[in-house]
Amino acid sequence: MIGRDGIAGLAACAASLALFWLTLGLERNPLVPIGPGFYPRIVLGITAVLGLALLASDLLRRGGRAAPQAARLNTRLVALLFGVFALYVIALPLLGFRVATFVFVLGATFLLEPPRRPGLWVRGLLLAALTTVATYYVFEHYLAVLLPRGTWTGF
Amino acid sequence: MYELLWNALVGLFQLKYLLPLVIGTVTGVVGGALPGVTITMTVIIVLPFTFGLDPLQGLAAMTGVYVGGSAGGLITATLLGIPGTPSSVATTFDGFPMARKGEAGRALWLGVWGSFLGGLIGGVFLIAATGPLAAFALEFGPWEFFSLFVLALSMVAGLVGRSLIKGFLSGAIGLAVTVLGNDPIFGAPRLTLGIGFLEGGVPFLPVLIGVFAFAQIMSDVERLGGAGRAAAALQDTVSLAASHLKVIWEILRRPFLLAWSSFIGVVIGVLPAIGGSAANIMAYDQAKKFSRHPERFGTGTPEGIVASESANNANVGGSLVTIMAFGIPGDAVTAVMLGALTIHGIQSGPLFISQNPGIAYGIFAAYLLAHPIMVIVIALGARWMLRVVTVPKAALFPVVLVLCTIGAYALANAMSAVVILLAFGLLGYAMVKVELPLAPLILGVILGDQIETNLIRALMTDENLWLFITRPISGVLLAMSAGSVVLALWQHRRQQRGGGDEGADF
Repeated sequence: MIGRDGIAGLAACAASLALFWLTLGLERNPLVPIGPGFYPRIVLGITAVLGLALLASDLLRRGGRAAPQAARLNTRLVALLFGVFALYVIALPLLGFRVATFVFVLGATFLLEPPRRPGLWVRGLLLAALTTVATYYVFEHYLAVLLPRGTWTGF
Repeated sequence: MYELLWNALVGLFQLKYLLPLVIGTVTGVVGGALPGVTITMTVIIVLPFTFGLDPLQGLAAMTGVYVGGSAGGLITATLLGIPGTPSSVATTFDGFPMARKGEAGRALWLGVWGSFLGGLIGGVFLIAATGPLAAFALEFGPWEFFSLFVLALSMVAGLVGRSLIKGFLSGAIGLAVTVLGNDPIFGAPRLTLGIGFLEGGVPFLPVLIGVFAFAQIMSDVERLGGAGRAAAALQDTVSLAASHLKVIWEILRRPFLLAWSSFIGVVIGVLPAIGGSAANIMAYDQAKKFSRHPERFGTGTPEGIVASESANNANVGGSLVTIMAFGIPGDAVTAVMLGALTIHGIQSGPLFISQNPGIAYGIFAAYLLAHPIMVIVIALGARWMLRVVTVPKAALFPVVLVLCTIGAYALANAMSAVVILLAFGLLGYAMVKVELPLAPLILGVILGDQIETNLIRALMTDENLWLFITRPISGVLLAMSAGSVVLALWQHRRQQRGGGDEGADF
């Protein structure tokens, strides 16, 4: 059976071959001897070969012995945190930096450590408020970084 | 040269430069002391704060982080037995046993003064070598630059990680990222995948921030809920007092140990990607081999602490040399510094010193000044920093992610960089899961455009491919590149037999 290495190799190979195929349609300027697809084809070709090599080494290795047992890790929490961060990225231009950041910090803190006692609620709310106010104030007022405004909130 | 350095040192005492340097050093020491937060992560957090500053202010802050972080890891390593950063792993071997014997102050200060002296030796190399190396690099044409970048990439790909194929694949993926977007010479449209913001290519800072921040944070999140606060009990009971003169003398009466460990640190710093984490282990190993009493190592011998700490701080000097002379980052921290330079429109590389002497000597001065500041910071705050260990990750990570987002967004005041941050965060985490090393990917992304530009320039000047081999410097660099691959193959075979592995700093 194919393992993680094999899947990674296969994915790298497939992605680079797809991009390689796209380079074949690139137009060449007749005045320029080397077209825009010349270097990408070298790089993507090498990537595809290395991806295949990783797949082959995984298949050969697995032919001899069983895959080692992975340690139990909280991958569900990782997936959820990625999800919350993706929502933050979507929310930033819609709600603006201040609202989105407050909600994100609060949500992420509670996700990573559920507020089972009142102290954690207070800590989460304080952290979200402090992070939002401090970063907004420092970046907008001192460092001349204009943070995103929300199209929904105008704020 | 000395006049420029003196002027830079005097200039750095102005509050507008001194303040960022001090804040950077404090942040570095705290970040270094905090287990699970690497120097790279700390410098990424500091990056957005430097956008509104002038280039030297920002670079002074980052240099402070780098120097402070390289020393900060020793606080928790010696007092709690938990290395704050990978570059202080070897410090725990003898630092913690010495602290447990009731000599916590001696252990801590041997490390601090070892870092200080090793760092200064690294500084001498940095100041003496950068100019001549940059002058040498001025002789380079596109053939030599192409070969130099190929050498850097092949060394990184070969020296990190457990698998040679994975190292090279990671580097190739990094290069593949740079082929997205219009071609860098003629601007011809290419591989934008219908995404408008890809026309300008993929900016490397959001890639670097995404890959490192998410790989680190998500790997920690996987283990969240475990230990982390247990060790803080030691903090109020031990004495951190020590006779500084006695400790300094204890180091200086071993000049060979100090010089050799610092030399190892510098050399490893010059090599791309293998930074402090390898330097401290290698210096420790060498100190043990050269010692008249190798059996004492691991029981609380001062040699072990001095070797590890002098090497990891000297390593900083070495890393700065490659970025300032060749424009090749020695590790992830200098990669972020390279990004900071780019943001301010400054091109690093052979012309950097001659075109920006104020900034170049300002970096030298910041590096030298950061060391005494680091000593003062640790003297004032070591006990307080032990409490840093108790900061809950659940509170820390969301704040770090917000700072990463600002760091990416502020590059061009565009959400596209934040989208890239998320995309490469996912890629970085996925790469960690399949044990693909991150260092070659980042170096590939940083050097990709340069490799392409120099390759095309060389071929447009002369189509003869043999010139890459027949031009002496280019030929030597390519031969070294091939040699590094052969060496890596030999090393991997040896590791497979012995089962050892050494991590990269990227």
